[in-house]
Amino acid sequence: MSVNDFWTPFELYSFLNALFIGLSVASIWLVAALGLTIIYGTMGVINMAHGEFIMLGAFSTYVFQTQLGVPFIVCIPLAFIVVGLFGWVIERLLIRSLYNRPLDTLLATWGLSLILIQVVRLTFGAAPLYVAVPAWLDFQVDLEILHLSGLRLFIMVVAVLLVVLTWYLMYRTTWGIRVRAVMQDKEMAASFGINTDRVYSITFAYGAGLAGAAGAMFGALKTLFPDMGSGYIVEAFLVVVVGGIQLAGSVLSALILGQLNSIFSYFTNDTFARFVLFSLIVIFLRFRPQGLLTEGLKRR
Amino acid sequence: MKQSLYQNRKAQWAAYLAVFALLAMVPLYFDNPFVINQIARYTVMAMLAVSVSLVWGYGGILSLGQGLAFGLAGYGMAMTMQMQYQNPETDPIPSFMLTNELDYLPWLWEPFWSTPVGLFLTLAVPTAIFMGIGILMFQARVAGVFVAIMTLAILAAWYSMAYDMQPYTAGFNGISPPLPFQIFGYLIDPYGAPAFWICVAFLALLTCGAKFLMQSKFGLVVQSIRDDAERARFLGYNVAYYQVLLFTLSGFIAASAGLCWVMVVQYVSPTSLELSLSISAVVWAAVGGRLSLMGAILGAFLVNGIQSYMGDELQQIWMIILGFIFIGVVLFLPRGLIGVVEKIFSGKAATTDAKVIAQVREVA
Amino acid sequence: MKITRRNLIRSASVAAAAVAAPSIIRPNEARAEPWITKGGTIKVGVLFSQSGALAVVENDSAQVVQYAIDEINANGGVAGMKVEPIIIDAKSDIKVYSEKISQLILRDRVICTFGGYTSASRRAVAPIVMARDHLFYYPTCYEGRECTQNIINTGPLANQHSQDLIPFMVKNFGPKVYFVGSNYIWPKESNKNAKVWLERAGGELLGEEYVPLGGSEFAPIFNKIRQAKPDFIFSTVVGDSDIALHKQFLQEGFKADKMPIAALTTGEIEVRAMGPEAGAGHFLSAPYFQTLDTPTNQKFVENYLKSKYGGGGVTHYNMEETYLSVYVWKAGLEKALAQAGDIEAVTPRMIRDASGGIELGDDISPEGKVWIDPDNFNIWLKPKIGQCQADGQFKIVQASEKHVAPDPFSIYPDRGVCKADGLHTPDGTVQKNVL
Repeated sequence: MSVNDFWTPFELYSFLNALFIGLSVASIWLVAALGLTIIYGTMGVINMAHGEFIMLGAFSTYVFQTQLGVPFIVCIPLAFIVVGLFGWVIERLLIRSLYNRPLDTLLATWGLSLILIQVVRLTFGAAPLYVAVPAWLDFQVDLEILHLSGLRLFIMVVAVLLVVLTWYLMYRTTWGIRVRAVMQDKEMAASFGINTDRVYSITFAYGAGLAGAAGAMFGALKTLFPDMGSGYIVEAFLVVVVGGIQLAGSVLSALILGQLNSIFSYFTNDTFARFVLFSLIVIFLRFRPQGLLTEGLKRR
Repeated sequence: MKQSLYQNRKAQWAAYLAVFALLAMVPLYFDNPFVINQIARYTVMAMLAVSVSLVWGYGGILSLGQGLAFGLAGYGMAMTMQMQYQNPETDPIPSFMLTNELDYLPWLWEPFWSTPVGLFLTLAVPTAIFMGIGILMFQARVAGVFVAIMTLAILAAWYSMAYDMQPYTAGFNGISPPLPFQIFGYLIDPYGAPAFWICVAFLALLTCGAKFLMQSKFGLVVQSIRDDAERARFLGYNVAYYQVLLFTLSGFIAASAGLCWVMVVQYVSPTSLELSLSISAVVWAAVGGRLSLMGAILGAFLVNGIQSYMGDELQQIWMIILGFIFIGVVLFLPRGLIGVVEKIFSGKAATTDAKVIAQVREVA
Repeated sequence: MKITRRNLIRSASVAAAAVAAPSIIRPNEARAEPWITKGGTIKVGVLFSQSGALAVVENDSAQVVQYAIDEINANGGVAGMKVEPIIIDAKSDIKVYSEKISQLILRDRVICTFGGYTSASRRAVAPIVMARDHLFYYPTCYEGRECTQNIINTGPLANQHSQDLIPFMVKNFGPKVYFVGSNYIWPKESNKNAKVWLERAGGELLGEEYVPLGGSEFAPIFNKIRQAKPDFIFSTVVGDSDIALHKQFLQEGFKADKMPIAALTTGEIEVRAMGPEAGAGHFLSAPYFQTLDTPTNQKFVENYLKSKYGGGGVTHYNMEETYLSVYVWKAGLEKALAQAGDIEAVTPRMIRDASGGIELGDDISPEGKVWIDPDNFNIWLKPKIGQCQADGQFKIVQASEKHVAPDPFSIYPDRGVCKADGLHTPDGTVQKNVL
């Protein structure tokens, strides 16, 4: 293999466009990782079924859209609610008894993901489905250096909105104060009269809901099939861990990782980009296991 | 406190020997090549589960990357077997390379002309890589979930490489050596008793060796690190040193499993490096009981056995059942099935569920 | 006390072993036993993934094999005996393929096995099939460059697949092309073949990109394509990724009439999964389309969709190739039986050797007459080019006049020629089972 085959020649405009694509990839990873950040950051639960929550969001969007004719834009909050409720139930039934056993939550939620995948496969069949993209998103921004589809722009906007919403909830509401108190010291928070169980179940439901909203959008961008979640889970975890398990960190790490991924794939290919990126992450974590930004050092 | 039978070392060794002796007798009970091969496969999977139990149960390090050593060793073994088939004079280059525009044998493959060198590399390379990863992680005091995620990232990176480097690894297709493994002039039929006994011997030696080590001072230090790494550090132990050694050892066991696996299936592909195999190994160890090497073996045999024999009739819901088994074990049997055995032997003694959970909580 | 304990453990493990291996305590006298017993049924293995990621396609394959067997049984079976499928779910797990093929051969003693959709699964079963000199039908497109004495293939080889498609696209849309494929062997081999046809047609290759299997992010690739400005895209992207490719093509604002995708995989089932609007206007090369206008095909489509297996609502090339494999097997068995005289004397080896030259006429084969090559045991067929319409069905825009010969080593003439007894290398040796 000669060097010329492997490396794509550099061209300024398309390289700049690769940077915009990096932003788009970053927004997708961020949306996928957001719920995980909340759940892991607050409760220390390693939710391996997070990818399947995304999948449920996508499939519920499909049902709303095809069975009930709900417009796409409404499907997103609906998917948020449906998966959020589901997450709430899961928290009650399963996660509740596993607090303080983070590695066991990893195993139990892996079991949960197997169940969800197969149940969905039995219900909807194994063939991939699709969520139709509404006509008003069927446009392209076409400037010389910037070329993006309407849907990708939309996902970026929603990503920003979700981050702002989450930030507001966490830092500007009483609920957020409670959550952060529990995050820093559960026992202490409880002794101040905070109902930690309640905080946990609502937080988990919120995190699951975020995954549902993510799924609604991924269903439109990509494909719906029962194991689609496994395509997001590794990246989502890496975003969360590299970011230092907190909101701002996740935003920053999603931006950096998405951008690096896009640049590497611009010059080489997708597979090799993945290898380089993952290797870099491992080396980064070796030198900075606490992640890019750190806040509550307690969870590690 | 009076020691229960379960914790009696002599009784443990007797049970281990009995189990391995029984396992070794399988070819005498069943004269069917399919069954012999199938149980040989379970034996190999049990080896992988032992490597998980060692590093996770005893060391408190949850590695989601055990499949890396397994898969790399699988490639090493497949390369050795492939080169046994090739003829240096007339046919020096494996078929798949010719069709990938390689008209020479890559240096990576050269050492595998020699079977002893090939076998050495098969075990040494993954072990060395595990040592490298171990040094990387444990020197930086990475622990808990971070280990899980770092090993997962490393595994995912290697997986992409294995199928991207098509001229060297045959990509997604994998390598299927045309003939079984050959040693001292004998072909080891993957469906025969000798192949089976080799697997059982590996399992027995590695398990007993690991058990011996875990009962030594080294093992006690490792377990104390699992229970409280900080305290062990304050007592003057070099925590990273113990963790690296343990991790390396688990890599060696997983590599041995990879070697035996390719001997009995005559095939390797990047799927051995998929996350699902590594997590499955964790599942087997958890179901059987991660705190006991025998538990891990039991778990591997049980889950794989159920999968083989129940899967056909209940194809569609197998995954659901597996998921529920898994959740059930995590919720109700944190020590796995071997915990039940322990309970029986310890009588009413000190193992109420609450305490078990408290103990496991420490582990986790 | 100690002894009781040991006994307890011992009996426990015996029980465990017994549970793990029920009803297989049979002595190893495999060689002498006939593969088909008079008065019984003819057992064949059906080894496809009905769960997991591969189920998308393989589920249909498993269904259509059963459909074909039902059809054969309804017409009196083979040699007066009923065919009994042993259906096994490979769970999209390569380990399971490898384990179950040995179960089928050694325990269930099937006469042959139909299975697989990916090269990886074929490779996983190959060692045991070859070691036991058994017979495996691999019923889908594959890359070739193998020469085994135990596998019969009923899908198009890489050399048959793009021979017409590339010149057609160059003629109608222009010479500049961009290759996009999934990152594994079949797409890479197919692309090598396509390059040969491209050169002959005077085309120009602008770039070649591979996505990881299952990958669904095409933005970086479309960015490079936008930079390169090809006249058409040649796609060997498979499965879920293929659907993402077509959807994102549309979202990126590309138009199928300006820069269509010419694919080797995007059939009726994929179009159904991506939505017809994403598939419309693009091209596919395949030996079979649901819309093929022959009486046999119309009957096949109607009966299949009516049957209990037809819930998917479409027929597609992969299904049809699988359907053919069952009839190729039936004809091979009948021929072997005529040679042996006694059904109990028929072995998988005999069926394989008898299958060379077997022909399925217009009356059986929905795609029209096909036959098995007597040397390399792949299939002679007529590739066709279809353009996807707004309803998700394909309009056939070109059909090959002549049958195209399968040639597994077409782009590797130095390797030798694949004959029935093995690969005849240029230095005069014959290599068996070249993988």
